[in-house]
Amino acid sequence: MKNKILLSIISLIFTITQGIYSQDIMPSVYIKNINGKSINSKTTYNKKGLTVYSFWATWCVPCINELDNIHKEIEKWNEANVKIIAISTDDSRTKRRIRPLVNGKKWGFEILLDENQALKRALNISGIPHTIVTKGNRIIYRKMGYKPGEENDLYEFILKNSIAKN
Amino acid sequence: MNNKKTIYILLLCLFNNFILNSQILKNLTSSYESFSAYYLDDSKTGDFSYDKRFRSNNYFNLKSNIGNNWNFELQIESYAPKSLLNYSENFEKTNISTFKIDYNKNNLSVSLGNFYEQFGSGMILRSWEDKDLGINNSIRGLNAKYRLNDEINISTLIGNQKKGFKYSKGFIVGFNSEFDFSKAIKNNSTFLLGLSYVGRNDQKTKSDFYPEMTNLFSARIDYSSSSFYSNFEIVNKSENPVVIFGSLSDSFIKKGSAILLNSGYFKNGLGLDFTFRRLENMSLFSEREAFGNVYNESIVNYLPALTKQHDYSLTNLYVYAAQPNVSFQSPILTKAGEIGIQTDLYYFIENETFFGGKYGTNLSINASVWNNLDGNFDFNNQKYETELLSFGEKYFSEISFEIRKKWSEKFDNIFLFVNQYYNKRLVEETTDEVKSNIIVLENTYKLNSNKSLRLELQHLSTKDDSKNWSAIALEFNLSSAFSIYFSDLYNYQNPEKDKKIHYYNAGGSYSKGINRYTVNYGRQRGGLVCTGGICRYVPESTGLSFGITTSFF
Repeated sequence: MKNKILLSIISLIFTITQGIYSQDIMPSVYIKNINGKSINSKTTYNKKGLTVYSFWATWCVPCINELDNIHKEIEKWNEANVKIIAISTDDSRTKRRIRPLVNGKKWGFEILLDENQALKRALNISGIPHTIVTKGNRIIYRKMGYKPGEENDLYEFILKNSIAKN
Repeated sequence: MNNKKTIYILLLCLFNNFILNSQILKNLTSSYESFSAYYLDDSKTGDFSYDKRFRSNNYFNLKSNIGNNWNFELQIESYAPKSLLNYSENFEKTNISTFKIDYNKNNLSVSLGNFYEQFGSGMILRSWEDKDLGINNSIRGLNAKYRLNDEINISTLIGNQKKGFKYSKGFIVGFNSEFDFSKAIKNNSTFLLGLSYVGRNDQKTKSDFYPEMTNLFSARIDYSSSSFYSNFEIVNKSENPVVIFGSLSDSFIKKGSAILLNSGYFKNGLGLDFTFRRLENMSLFSEREAFGNVYNESIVNYLPALTKQHDYSLTNLYVYAAQPNVSFQSPILTKAGEIGIQTDLYYFIENETFFGGKYGTNLSINASVWNNLDGNFDFNNQKYETELLSFGEKYFSEISFEIRKKWSEKFDNIFLFVNQYYNKRLVEETTDEVKSNIIVLENTYKLNSNKSLRLELQHLSTKDDSKNWSAIALEFNLSSAFSIYFSDLYNYQNPEKDKKIHYYNAGGSYSKGINRYTVNYGRQRGGLVCTGGICRYVPESTGLSFGITTSFF
C-alpha cells in the first residue's frame, strides 16, 4: 500500500513537472484609463504591431529613467510600429502625480492605471520597473529592472520581431 | 492480484494522462520569491538579540485557468525557521496563505476565497498585498461584481480579514457602485460618481457602550477634461471608541470623517496638481484591538501620507506618516486627525533653448504642509470639538525642487533640494522637532551600450536631533545582467560619539529576463532602498542577505 501511494505521488510529480510550460497570454483584468474609466487589459494591445507594457510608478526613479530615455528617441520607436503603454502601479498615495508628471515630461505614451495592482499580480510581477512585450495578446518578452542603456536591447528586440512579422 | 495491479497501473496512467491533458495544468503558471538573511552581531549597533540568526521568507504562487471563465490561484508561504525582522509573528512556519476561485462570464465576476479589493481611493476599504511591508490584508469570503452596462458597475463583498495565517473574528461587508455620466454631458469629458458602504463587525471586543458594527459611507465625484481634472470624496464613519493608553474607552466615543479634494491642470510640457485632505478619527481595523500595531495588520482602509514619496536614503530619514487618529497623551499633546495640502508642479524646458540645452530639462517642485486639527481639546474630561477648516499645530512641511538633465549621449544627472520640517514631538509623541535641508546629486555615466556607472551624493544638514548626515552610493552595471554596488550613510555629526555610525552596504545582483538573484552584506538603517533598478523596503539590521525572484510563466 505504502509503495502504491509513493508510486502515485512520484508519478504525479513527474506528470506535473512535464506539464509546467510557459503560458504566455495577457490575463483578463480590469484596470483604468487615465480618466478613471474601467478597461479590460486584454483589449489594450496594438492591432498593427507589437505592444510594450512598461510597469512604473511616479516614485520609482529607474522606471522614470527608462521611460524618459525611450521618450527622448520616440521617433525611432514610432517608426518601428510599436505601441508603448506605461502602466502606473501608483496607489492612492501618489496617483495624483501621474497626470502632471506625464504632461510635464511631454511623454506621449498611453497611460493606464493598475491602482490596486490587480494586473501586476495576475502577471506575477514582483518589482518594478518591469517590461513586457506582446504580439497581439501573446507575451513574447519579459524583463525586470532597468539599467541605463537597456532600452537599446529592447529596441533591437522590437526591430527584430517586427521585421520577422512582416 | 496481478489483475488488481494491472488495473491500478492503468488507472494511474489514465489519471496522470487526465492531469497532463487537462487545461488546468496546461495553463499553470507559477512564481517563487525568497528573501533570506543571516543576522550578525555588530560592535556598533549591538548584538543580534533575537533567536534564529538565519531567517527566511518564501512565497510560492500558482495560477491556472479553465477556458476564459474559471481562474484559480493558490499561494503557499513559508517563514522558516522564522520570518525576517520587522515582520509580524503571525507569519509563522509554512502554510497555505491564500486560495481563490474566480468565475467570469459576460458582465459578471464572482470570486470565492481570498480576494483583493479597493473602493474609490481606498479611504473606506482597501485590501492588498505588499511583501516588502509584510502586508496581506486580503478578505476571505465572497466578492461579486456586475457590470450592468458601460455606465453602471456594482459590486458587493463579505468575508473575514487575513492576519498572518489567521483570520479576524467578526466580518467585513461592503457595497460599491460606480456611475459614468460622461455620455450625458457630451463634450468629451468624463464625469464619474461613486457611492460605497463598508461595515466592520468586531466580535472580539463586545461592550454595552458601543455597537459591534461600525458603518462607513463614502460618496465621490470625478471629473476630467482634456486639460483639467477634479475629484472630491467625503466619508462618514459611525461612532467608535477612542483608544486611550492602549485600551478602548467606554465613555470617549466619537464619529469619524474624511474630506478629499484634488484638482489639476495640464498641457503639453506643464502639469499642476493640488490636493486638500482632512481626516478625523478615521483609522479602521477589522479588530478594534489591533489599533496602532506596528505591522499594519488588520487595517481595513488605506490612509497614506500625502507627501512626496522619496527614493533617496537621506530624504527618507524624517518621513511623515498620516495622522488620522484621536490621541490624548497629555494636556499639551492632544490630536484628533490631520488637515493639510500638497501641491506639485512639473515643467519641461524645451530643447534648443538657453535652459533646455540639446535634450531639454525637466523641472519638478513639490510642497506639502500637514497640521493637527484645530479645536477645543479637554484632556481631563476626554472631550473635544474640532473646527472644520482651521489648521492646528503643524506636524510636517516640505518643499522639494528637482532638476533632471541629460547633458550628452553618455552623461545625465538629477539634482534634488529638499527643505523639511518634522514635528517629532507631535507625530511620534516623544520630544523634539527637526528642521533640515537635503541636497542630492545623482550622476549616470554610460560607458557603452550596456555598461554604466551611477554615483549618488547626498547631504542632510540640521542643527536638531542627531545633526548632519552624508551619504554616497556607487553602482557599476557591468553588463545587462550583472550589477554591483557600494553605499554608505554616515551620521558624522551625531553628538554622541558612539552613534557616529557608518551604514555601509555592498552587494550585487544578477538578473536575466524575469529571474533575479541578489546578495547584500552590510548594516541596514531601514527604509526604501533602490539598487540595480528595483526599489524595496529593508528592515534595520546587520548581516548577509539573499534574494531570489523567479517565475515560470
